[in-house]
Amino acid sequence: MSFDCSDHLHYKVLHLTGEIDLSNSSEVRRCLLDIINQGNSVIVDFSGLTYIDSSGMATLVEGLNTANKKNVSLMIAAANGAPLQVLELTRLNQVFSLIDSVSDIQE
Amino acid sequence: MFAQIEKLGAATIQKFEEVGRLSVFLYRTVLGLVSRPFGFKELLKQIAFIGARSMPIILLSGLFTGMVLALQFYDVLARFGSVDLMGSAVSLSLIQELGPVMTALMLIARVGSSTCAEIAIMRNEQQFDALTCMAISPYRYVMAPRLLAAIISIPLLTAVFNLIGIFGGYVVGVFIKGLSGTAYMQTIIDTITWSDLRMSIVKSFIFAVIIIWISMGKGFFVHLEKGVSGAESVGRVTTKAVVASAITMLFADYIASSFLI
Amino acid sequence: MNRNFAESSVLIDVKNLNSGYGNRHVLHDINLSVNDGEILVIMGGSGSGKSTLLRNMLGLKKPSEGQILIDGMDLCHANKSELLKLRRSMGVAFQGGALLSSLSVGENIKLPLRQHTDLDENTINIMMRLKLELMNLAGYEDLMPSELSGGMLKRAGLARAVIMDPKILFFDEPSAGLDPVTSVELDQLILKLRKAMNMTIVVVTHELESAFTIADRIAVLFDGELVTTGTVGEIKTCTDERVVNLINRSPRDIQIDAEKYLSRLTKGAN
Repeated sequence: MSFDCSDHLHYKVLHLTGEIDLSNSSEVRRCLLDIINQGNSVIVDFSGLTYIDSSGMATLVEGLNTANKKNVSLMIAAANGAPLQVLELTRLNQVFSLIDSVSDIQE
Repeated sequence: MFAQIEKLGAATIQKFEEVGRLSVFLYRTVLGLVSRPFGFKELLKQIAFIGARSMPIILLSGLFTGMVLALQFYDVLARFGSVDLMGSAVSLSLIQELGPVMTALMLIARVGSSTCAEIAIMRNEQQFDALTCMAISPYRYVMAPRLLAAIISIPLLTAVFNLIGIFGGYVVGVFIKGLSGTAYMQTIIDTITWSDLRMSIVKSFIFAVIIIWISMGKGFFVHLEKGVSGAESVGRVTTKAVVASAITMLFADYIASSFLI
Repeated sequence: MNRNFAESSVLIDVKNLNSGYGNRHVLHDINLSVNDGEILVIMGGSGSGKSTLLRNMLGLKKPSEGQILIDGMDLCHANKSELLKLRRSMGVAFQGGALLSSLSVGENIKLPLRQHTDLDENTINIMMRLKLELMNLAGYEDLMPSELSGGMLKRAGLARAVIMDPKILFFDEPSAGLDPVTSVELDQLILKLRKAMNMTIVVVTHELESAFTIADRIAVLFDGELVTTGTVGEIKTCTDERVVNLINRSPRDIQIDAEKYLSRLTKGAN
């Protein structure tokens, strides 16, 4: 698993690659919360993500909640395959704003 | 005739098996005491249950025991013209013998029975299987905190029993039989030695282990009871646990007394 | 556990399993394998040895002969850390839930996470609630097990079993004691779990409808022996008498001896 950050317009983009599970979700959490607590809106890019477990999902939920409190936004881009199925199974696809790709955001 | 001998043999073997099982059980529980992470929350809960909430019945039984002792001794001592020895008689009996034994019996009734039932129900509901499958040792998570809580609480409760018993004796001796209060207290201070107190502590410690070990052990192996299941099996092992801990405790009392007196 | 297994690789391998209690020999030479990602249903009447087989597979009972290999590791000869790793990837849902009576529902579900991970408390709480939502138990986290109905206890037990997203889920008698509607919902949940989490699921049950709905393969036990394993279609067309009896239990087909029946009914009457 690896993750890195880039910028897109005024958003921070968190690219997740590989698999997120119990062993590494804490790292992702720290990074995500840091970004949000600094007042940035975030797009979490799922395009390289092959698997995400409930600890990863919980991290994103906490991220969304924190973002809402800070009046910034959190979106998920390019969810596909197993991660998309998890979003559907947990009905979180109705809670998160899902977009097809980062480039869809033009402003 | 041979059938009888066979039965006797089978019963004896069964008894040995049970003793063996319970010994391994105690060993693993003690090991659970030193495993990480230790269940501190459970420990505190158990100290509250075994210790704090037993206090009312210990206070009551201690008080009445002390009062009865005083009445009893007054009668005996009066025949020898030594009623002023009342204080030391009451306190010695309590500290050496009645304190540890009565406290143990009260706790067998209260804590022994409920702990045994609780553990037995956990076994019947497969809670121990669930813990094992979650790679959580039942010995570390469930048994060890209870053992430690008993070892901490019961000697303290015994001390409380002794104190309130001495007070009960005081009440009867001074207010009912008209003895001198200061004489009562003085004889106590003169007579009680450190070895008496040590006997009280050692006995209460041993009794604590016996009570909690047998109660938990019998409950833990409820599934091996033949011919019963469900609620009936819980009732049966609880009865067995209470009886077995009481008898074992009294036997241990004799052994301890013969070494320590 | 490596999640990149090929579809057809064997995850659980039971070889020549013989197991019993004291002198009572319960299981005879059981050979069974469970493939990665499949749902295997173990079926049999009472006394067939289903529970013993399950206990052996869970490592709760040692076989007298034979081996149980999970992900290549021998269950009986694993050392402590190997066993821990295995158990972390195995979730077990027991009949009746087997929740700890002194903890609330939420605390029960969080227990494996608290004991085995360093996850932040917020993460753990959200994970617990996600599972509760999945099981239709939203809002029940502060209740004690004694306050739940049988069906709810089962679902809470299932929530705990899957809290760490295990690779393998064992489910002991999911439908026992459930009304048909809840039973169907539970079946659908099992299918969803396999699909979304790529779980391998072993279900022990005697409910035919459930078995036929969820199973990729069914293993039939009779009297401690593995009679046959096969797909739902294969089992339905199997000609072995024991399998046929299991599947076609319809009371009205049982022939009775009228005279004996009457005398059983009127035993002891004047």
